[in-house]
Amino acid sequence: MSTQLKSRDRATHESDSTRGGVALQGVSRAYRDRGGASVAALSGVSLRATHGELLAVVGPSGCGKTTLLELICGLQRPDEGTVACGPAVLMPQRDLLLPWLSALDNAALALRIAGRSRREARADAGALFAELGLDGFQRARPHELSGGMRQRVAFLRTLLSRKPVLCLDEPLSALDAITREELRDWLCGALVREPRTVVLVTHDVEEAIVLADRVAVLSARPGRVLAEIAVDLPRPRTPTAPAVIALRQRALHGLREGAHQL
Amino acid sequence: MTRRLLHALPAAALALALVGAWEGYVDLGLVNPIVLPAPHEIASVAWSNAGLLAANLELTAQEVGLGVLLALLFGFVLGVLIHLSPALRRAVYPLAVGSQAVPIALIGVLLVFWWGFGVLPKLFVIVLICFFPVVVTTVDGLSAVDPDQLKLLRTLGASRWQALRFGELPAAVPAALSGARIALAVGVIGAYIAETSTATSGPYAGLGHQINADINGLQTPRAYAAAAVLFLFAIACFYTLALAERVLAPWAHRPRGESR
Amino acid sequence: MRATPTSARARTVVSLLIACACAAALAACGTKQDTISPPAAKPFTVMLDWFPNADHAPLYAAISHGYFDQVGLDVRPIVPSETAEPLKLLAAGKVDMAISYEPQLLLARDQGLKLVSIAALVQRPLTSIIALPSAHVQKVADLAGKRVGTAGLAYQAAELRTALQSAGVSPSSVQEADVGFNLVGAMLSGKVAATLGGYWNYEALQLEQMHKHPIVIPVDHAGVPSYDELVLVVRSEEARLDGQDLRAFLQALTRGAQQVRSNPAAAAALIVKANPAAEMKLQTASIEKTLPATLPSNKSNPYGWQDPSAWAAFGSWMLAHGLIHSNPNTAGLPPFTNEFLPGQGI
Repeated sequence: MSTQLKSRDRATHESDSTRGGVALQGVSRAYRDRGGASVAALSGVSLRATHGELLAVVGPSGCGKTTLLELICGLQRPDEGTVACGPAVLMPQRDLLLPWLSALDNAALALRIAGRSRREARADAGALFAELGLDGFQRARPHELSGGMRQRVAFLRTLLSRKPVLCLDEPLSALDAITREELRDWLCGALVREPRTVVLVTHDVEEAIVLADRVAVLSARPGRVLAEIAVDLPRPRTPTAPAVIALRQRALHGLREGAHQL
Repeated sequence: MTRRLLHALPAAALALALVGAWEGYVDLGLVNPIVLPAPHEIASVAWSNAGLLAANLELTAQEVGLGVLLALLFGFVLGVLIHLSPALRRAVYPLAVGSQAVPIALIGVLLVFWWGFGVLPKLFVIVLICFFPVVVTTVDGLSAVDPDQLKLLRTLGASRWQALRFGELPAAVPAALSGARIALAVGVIGAYIAETSTATSGPYAGLGHQINADINGLQTPRAYAAAAVLFLFAIACFYTLALAERVLAPWAHRPRGESR
Repeated sequence: MRATPTSARARTVVSLLIACACAAALAACGTKQDTISPPAAKPFTVMLDWFPNADHAPLYAAISHGYFDQVGLDVRPIVPSETAEPLKLLAAGKVDMAISYEPQLLLARDQGLKLVSIAALVQRPLTSIIALPSAHVQKVADLAGKRVGTAGLAYQAAELRTALQSAGVSPSSVQEADVGFNLVGAMLSGKVAATLGGYWNYEALQLEQMHKHPIVIPVDHAGVPSYDELVLVVRSEEARLDGQDLRAFLQALTRGAQQVRSNPAAAAALIVKANPAAEMKLQTASIEKTLPATLPSNKSNPYGWQDPSAWAAFGSWMLAHGLIHSNPNTAGLPPFTNEFLPGQGI
């Protein structure tokens, strides 16, 4: 059975941002390294994602992918260019679960911050635990959970923040292959039920093709957009399908070219 | 339970060995008993003065309990404020450091002048002596909070106060508790200093005061008995706090031997 | 991996225990039971010079027999944390009366404190040079070349110097050591040959009861002018305005002193009750030994009498030794007054 992520018609930038899309225009960002020298992280990056779209961003390490996500989330401001995004939540590479809270309380964190009572927040979060295969571990502390389980709790936390834009920073890279596939499927399912705009940063090109509506390829530092590849394949996609492999080659080609341009 | 008792065995054995050496030292006539009484004499004096020692222990324990608690609260709050406001830190931190060098014997009279002959001057002395380790460890604990976690909280929509409440304060609790352990250990000697630097009314004024009076009255064995009670009390306090710590901040303790 | 359940219950228990401990401690703040006195009795705090001992017997006897209550005073003794505290707190208005030493009073007045002595509890110095037989010190002259311990008070050093000079010993040949208030310990440990600062009715008795047979030389037998070892001090203002209360106080105290004379053992029991560190045998012996010194040499003078010529001589001695800088005999009002003693005054 094929499912299609809802896609909206192209609209103006403004309505995209007010409806929970993402729009970066000519964004540059530099930071100071330890020696005090200025290092350019991103240079002239323009990217867009409409509401409900999943944009994957691939690139070599150090190409400013994390900076990109932080700009979208509002943790940083661009030195040049504009960032217009709906409210965004970040799922960082490390799960960053608070060690003094139970799994349930960690997942419900955003609800508590939003002002819900502990009981309500726990009820809302607890309803989703079974879906993620975490049933029975509500009261466990993070140090008692495996890496994969912690990542799932982090996912829940991200989703429960109810923000229209999700920024996922290599969420599956630390997991084993089987867990990765499980979570990939779960993420797709969750996004079908509750469409969000997702900006997914990953170094795994295959994963990008399997999950995304569009893939942006960034160059090495300073990060520039080398190519944008539309993935118009029906879902679910298998990594071994010829169409997927073909797109994967295109993306890798783009990456290599970007490396050559250095 | 048996495992805990076994844990206490090496300490008990060492203590017994030291006491045995002490007994021998005195019995062999190597020191005048008026200067250092023998353990057996101290024990028998402790037994016959159990009531007096208990009454004074109760007073000292109350001072230590309340005084250290106030020191913990004050030190923790001050630590949080210093963390939140760099201006306050610049103003207050050097003074807090200097406060540790204030000779208590000097200000004892002033405290009595302000607050009379009850327990308040003693509490002040204990708070003065004990608050500083708590401030230092709290500030350090708050500064060592994972900045990525704070970033995360911000993206989840937390305000500064919420970031403090959900992120920084709980993260700083283990550090503050280690400051509390220091404060408690110092608090017992702080009670001694407090009792011997402030005037008192009434015959019972705590173990410290009793030690002083007994030294003056040449009741050296009883002074040592009171000191022994203080010694054991300090140990009991320390391990009670360790227990409370395990219950209140269990994430700071990883059970040994369990594989991940 | 099984998750361990959160021990919420244990946390509640510990939190409750801590709360109980706090409550108990807070309750302790308010448990000082003061004597319930009839509405007429005025609170009157007396700060002792040191821990309650035999020298304070008349005070405790008067309290115990209700003599102060009968004159409308609710007398409360306070124990200081050190010997300089009573006069400070008296001057600051925190206590109504302080027991102190004549030398210390003169020092305080020299520094501008407006205090005055209204009675002498002990009519002679108790301070003595004390030595153990093993030190081979029979008289002051034997101290030459030896080490002497004092309690570190400036006037004790001056007393030592005077004693040595009277015995023809050069003070530079004697080493002085500050041994704090543990004079007996210093002697027994052999660290010093003799001490100056112990009392012939206290430390000397302690040593005698330990069968140490000490040699005891009171300082007024060694060339130091006589002075009142223990005096009752009040603020000069009070002496001017509250003469009635002071007179009543001294009347009650005199009756207390009579009680001590007629029954020293009962008086000693009161001291032990007030100071658990005190020992019955020593306190009784001390009270008995001190009795003659608590009465003026001239029988016609009342209990508590202060000898004007002795005070003048001692004041001059302190001035000569640079302990004070203005002459107490000529500067302002006299440092003592006998006007409130029974049968005295205008």
